[in-house]
Amino acid sequence: MKRRGFTGLAALGAVATLALAACGGGSSSGGGGGSGSGGSSGPSGFNAAVNAVVNPSNHKSTGTISFGNSTAPDSTDPGNTYYAYMWNFTRLYAMPLMTYKSAPGPAGLQVVPDLATAPGVVSDNGLTWTYHIKSNVKYEDGTTVTSADVKYAVERTFDRTLFPLGPSYFPLLLGGNAAKYPGPYKDKSKTGLTAIDTPDATTIVFHLAKPFADFNYVTAIPQTAPVPQKHDTGADYQKHPWSTGPYKFQSYQLNKQLTLVPNTFFNPATNPNAKQLVGKITMTMNMNADDIDNRLLAGDLTVDAAGTGVQAAARAKILSSSSLKAQADNPISGFLWFAYLNTVVPPMNNVHCRMAIEYAANKTNLQSAYGGPFAGGQVASTVSPPNVVGHKSFDLYEANTKPQGDVAKAKEQLKLCGQPNGFTIGVGYRSDRPKEVAAATALQQALSLAGIKTTLHGYPASTYYANFCGVPKYVHQHQLGICFGGWAPDWPDGYGFFDFISAGNTIGAAGNTNIEELNDPVVNNLLAKYGTTTDQATRNSYTAQIDMQIMKDAGILPEVYAKSLLYRNPNLTNVYVQTYYGMYNYAVLGLKS
Amino acid sequence: MVTFIIRRLIATILLLIVVSMITFAIFFLIPRLAGQNSYQLATQYVGRNPTRAAVLDIETKLGLNEPIYVQYGRFLKALVFGEHYNSGTSSTYCPPPCFGYSFRSQQPVWPQMVSDLPVTISLAVGAAILWLIGGVTIGVISALKRGTIFDRFSMGVALAGVSLPIFFTGLVSLELFSYKWPIFPNVTFVPLTTNPLLWARNLVLPWVTLAFLYAALYARLTRAGMLETMGEDYIRTARAKGLNERTVIVKHGLRAALTPIVTIFGMDLGALLGGAVITEHTFSLNGLGQFTILAINNQDLPEILGVTMLAAFFIVIANLAVDILYAVIDPRVRH
Repeated sequence: MKRRGFTGLAALGAVATLALAACGGGSSSGGGGGSGSGGSSGPSGFNAAVNAVVNPSNHKSTGTISFGNSTAPDSTDPGNTYYAYMWNFTRLYAMPLMTYKSAPGPAGLQVVPDLATAPGVVSDNGLTWTYHIKSNVKYEDGTTVTSADVKYAVERTFDRTLFPLGPSYFPLLLGGNAAKYPGPYKDKSKTGLTAIDTPDATTIVFHLAKPFADFNYVTAIPQTAPVPQKHDTGADYQKHPWSTGPYKFQSYQLNKQLTLVPNTFFNPATNPNAKQLVGKITMTMNMNADDIDNRLLAGDLTVDAAGTGVQAAARAKILSSSSLKAQADNPISGFLWFAYLNTVVPPMNNVHCRMAIEYAANKTNLQSAYGGPFAGGQVASTVSPPNVVGHKSFDLYEANTKPQGDVAKAKEQLKLCGQPNGFTIGVGYRSDRPKEVAAATALQQALSLAGIKTTLHGYPASTYYANFCGVPKYVHQHQLGICFGGWAPDWPDGYGFFDFISAGNTIGAAGNTNIEELNDPVVNNLLAKYGTTTDQATRNSYTAQIDMQIMKDAGILPEVYAKSLLYRNPNLTNVYVQTYYGMYNYAVLGLKS
Repeated sequence: MVTFIIRRLIATILLLIVVSMITFAIFFLIPRLAGQNSYQLATQYVGRNPTRAAVLDIETKLGLNEPIYVQYGRFLKALVFGEHYNSGTSSTYCPPPCFGYSFRSQQPVWPQMVSDLPVTISLAVGAAILWLIGGVTIGVISALKRGTIFDRFSMGVALAGVSLPIFFTGLVSLELFSYKWPIFPNVTFVPLTTNPLLWARNLVLPWVTLAFLYAALYARLTRAGMLETMGEDYIRTARAKGLNERTVIVKHGLRAALTPIVTIFGMDLGALLGGAVITEHTFSLNGLGQFTILAINNQDLPEILGVTMLAAFFIVIANLAVDILYAVIDPRVRH
């Protein structure tokens, strides 16, 4: 009954829209502007929201956008979260200094000012970054945001005992006492973080330990969203972060239900990247993933919070129904599924043995293992996915021309490696991830055709990096020459993508992400230069060069550029995939009714 | 009887201590035997690519680098005497029973479990009433009408009920009655005190699904028990004394047949109160079952310990209640 009622309303909306369109036409795409009504204009159909705004509208509704979440956020505190969908979701209640432009297509990769008035001004040979913040941004209680609040927000993230889950870029990059600063709660000296100055209420100056050209990206992490010290409740702040965005916390039952309502002090003029268009936003956590899909299709839920796409059952329903498929999008998520090819474990310390694996792998079967072209992704021939700024397409190992693998070339490489009859090597993967299990099995079969024998070692996902593939000592002891993994960058350029998975100085004793243990001077130098280069064209060329060098080193076997099948609720307005997040932009969503 | 209850309560406490020790050992000892050190354990509780200092800080804060007996002692102390916790801006007291603070959310475990209890209790008790009434009634009628179409049909359905897992029957019921014909749309827990009607409406599908499995089992058990009991000599004697058939069936037949049912009922209800994991997951109900899943996924020891001990507590208490009830049903036990 409810569904029928909803369909009726949707039909009414469609009729109204047609009438409006007949009268004056509607805007088709752009930055989320559009007509003032709740009508549906703009593009429609499968993949309509990948590069354009579907249903652009500024219509204000009293309705509720309901998010369903199959798990719970790591934290709702902007200073303590690392989940991609939470970085997207926090824009509903938090304004970091910088953010990603709310726009469809490649424009969504641009880092733009949010709380700041302009990107950081660099001085002192790249060591000083100065930002001015908007003078009229208010908290939910009407008080004005100051630069001291931004400094305090960054300072509190230094207390890793209370906020261990967010990124660690500020302690790594800042100078002054950053290396030893314990955070404001334990700081006995009361000097605060000396690497940050706030000469006046709207200016904040960061002093870096070494030049870092990507610093604007770092300040786009939610950790720079201001926190008023008098309202800081430490570890409890997650229950009610003080809002500077279009919505504020009304209630939060930890890991169960979050309700946001409009922030009455939100001024749209100060925030072009977020909109306040609905009466309420809820997020229900710990839901069954299939239940989320079914409720989405039934119209009982509006958005799947995780933004990683529907499950297998819903995928089958959507792809077999033209009407449902017209409401779906299949973007590249920015994630790469791949296998680390260890450069230290013999005989894979010989590049030709690794190249043999690159050639022998059956990329079509790997694509199927990850869910096929819609849910799995596009066969990858490079390390960086297409939505990394500076990505250049190339294909060293015939991933696109011979996706079934080239056994003859693999055997040639084995001869060059001194292992003409093949070799035996261990393969690590996460045994509680069915797609990865299937991928490991597919790779095992493909490699066996070239004479490379593999022993499969499945590990639990929760301890995979902490105890197994992320521990070089363990990897060496168990001869794990191949470890499966996935990667998405913290920011979408070459440095953001490559540094943690390929820089020699990132190899760690546990929780290691450079699992292939690549320590190539060419890659290391390019990454070092990246840190000091501001010219965009040069930076783009570094991205392509690093990618090419890692592939020449055969340190990584790219499998697929991950894609996800997203279902677009027909009642939503301003829907588009934000290319940086690889999911719908949550900050601008509205409702037709 | 009082001595009996006191004895059982002391045994309950000892059992809970043993359960906590085993859980602790599984969590800490097994990874260490596999070569994991406390630094590696700590990396699970920090974000991606942490600095070494961040991992060491969290290792120290969680006490992971201390000997296991010290960690266990601290856990027991907090459980009995409570614990002070520094949230950064203030120090808060976690009163006993303090199961500690979540490694991930840094929130006290006990209040979270308490807030989940209404969901699990509503689900388990409602379903238990359904399956007990339904299962026993069908079992009795089947036994009395042995060989009839009713008997064959109900036992056939019972066999299906026992065979079909909840995640299957649950999904089918959701597909039919929530998505396709939205008679029970948007299954979400609404507290009984907020809206009793909505509370009941939203729990109908989970109740029926859960009760279907158990009712089938209870119907078969009751039928078997009744068939055996009704063939006993004392039933024949009761009939020969001229008692009416209703009294013979209910007072003499059913009462004896119920004894094993009560035992298994206690166990089942106790286990469900500790978290009906599959049912809660299938219907997206945020009770102790879902809490358990999240705790395991996050490798959150205080939460895992808390929910394990709570589940064990429910099972032990349910068994105690069964033992007491046994004495009521079966006079021989009292002597």
